[in-house]
Amino acid sequence: MPLPDGHAGRPPSSLLWLGAAPLVFFIGLPLVALWLVSSPTELVRHLSSPLAVRALWLTLKTTLVATALAVALGMPLAYLLARVPFRGRDVVDTLVDLPITIPPVVAGVALLLAFGRRSLIGRQLDVLGVQIAFTSVAVVMAQVFIASPFFVKAARAGFEAVDGRLETAARTLGASPWRVFWTITVPLARPALLAGLVLAWARALSEFGATMMFAGNFPGRTQTLTLAVMTALESDLETAVAISALSLALAIAALLAARLAARRWSAPLA
Amino acid sequence: MPRARAGLVAVIAVAAQVSSAETLHVSAAASLTEAFQEIGQLFERSHPGAAVEFNFAGSQVLRTQIEQGAAVDVFASADLVHADALEASGLLGPYQVFARNRVVVVVPAQHGKVGRLQDLARPGMKVVVAGATVPVGRYTTQVLGKLSAAGLYGDDFQARVQANLVSQETNVRVVLSKVALGEADAGFVYATDAATATDKIRVIDIPGRHNVIAEYPIGLLVKSPAPEKAKAFVALVLGEEGRAILLKRGFAR
Repeated sequence: MPLPDGHAGRPPSSLLWLGAAPLVFFIGLPLVALWLVSSPTELVRHLSSPLAVRALWLTLKTTLVATALAVALGMPLAYLLARVPFRGRDVVDTLVDLPITIPPVVAGVALLLAFGRRSLIGRQLDVLGVQIAFTSVAVVMAQVFIASPFFVKAARAGFEAVDGRLETAARTLGASPWRVFWTITVPLARPALLAGLVLAWARALSEFGATMMFAGNFPGRTQTLTLAVMTALESDLETAVAISALSLALAIAALLAARLAARRWSAPLA
Repeated sequence: MPRARAGLVAVIAVAAQVSSAETLHVSAAASLTEAFQEIGQLFERSHPGAAVEFNFAGSQVLRTQIEQGAAVDVFASADLVHADALEASGLLGPYQVFARNRVVVVVPAQHGKVGRLQDLARPGMKVVVAGATVPVGRYTTQVLGKLSAAGLYGDDFQARVQANLVSQETNVRVVLSKVALGEADAGFVYATDAATATDKIRVIDIPGRHNVIAEYPIGLLVKSPAPEKAKAFVALVLGEEGRAILLKRGFAR
């Protein structure tokens, strides 16, 4: 008897679909509902409210800076974890994963205790006239804290997957280590790096708990899209729904971008 | 946007019905936390088998939840605005004012940069308030308006203080904690909230003629799942024992 494909002994597809469909619907339905409850013109009208516009700009600005920082600071760490065996690597690895698993609001409390005015660091900064809490800098810090592990994880996996023989070959042909890194390692890891970048950006975009604790809630300065949803929900449900729909659109765009990037830049050598 | 409302109603209503019908659900303003918890314990002692579950939050949050179909028995707000709105939409029955409160400025107990009311307007001060829909946030704006109008600190006092605002929180207790943590230089809260954190904060009084009187209404929801218990709870709050607890916590009658 010919089998449909390589997975012999698999349960029938119909049964699998029966088991899989509930979760697909459970995740899909609320997301579809966000867009179905109001007409596109209404969505646009509510999105043009000052609350939504200011929150959108602030969110775009802060998440772009946060993502750039996550990449710049995450790249060396990811490479270190992927290529350099050292004592305590497991500890560092676990530490970097922690922001993914701890509740974001806990991260906010921790940031406040570390960088707040009364903290060791905050007191020194206060003397210099620098204050972090309640500023856009606090928003970016909360986003970097929560989002950078997503980049580090992806980048590390990307670096690990690069065939070391190619790098060795380049070295034997006389390329400097830096040149090998930028012309061999990074291009080969590019799909993973881009996927990590987009994931980190999407996570920064959805940051709420740590931002609320550490940065507060003030329009144009610390009120990002997620905080604007919470604020709008208390007085203007339609605007809250419209901002939520916009956030969903941004998240979908991010995932599509990650997929396209992975396909477009899949390294020819890999 | 009726479809959005219908959808949210369904979601919240389902969530609300998960809890047991034997439990009395009281939605109360955040500033009532300690007083109502004590009254709740008293209620559970005098009504064996009854359990009171509180939802403490900004009154505007509680109102939205009720409008979206949350199954609540008793609503106690920190201002008449939200109670009036619920009454007008037929969700809340007649209400009674059971307590009064006033607004104070709180500053960190140590290393405070704000010593007097006029310091609030000094450039660079970090002032935290509650949002415009939160009762105490609205009272704050009124107080600043009165202080400005009185001309004590210049008639642009309100504008100068507002230039120092760094966060608009969703309820009075978050304002209090930001000051208690020392992150903010000053915040506007109720006198009763200030009394819950005297070790961490210092109070600057606002003279009565420039202050407002916050009125706390309490009432039964028209669709209360447990109306008998709800009535008994409201009676306890309005009665001698309830009043004694509220007075002890600093509320006025």
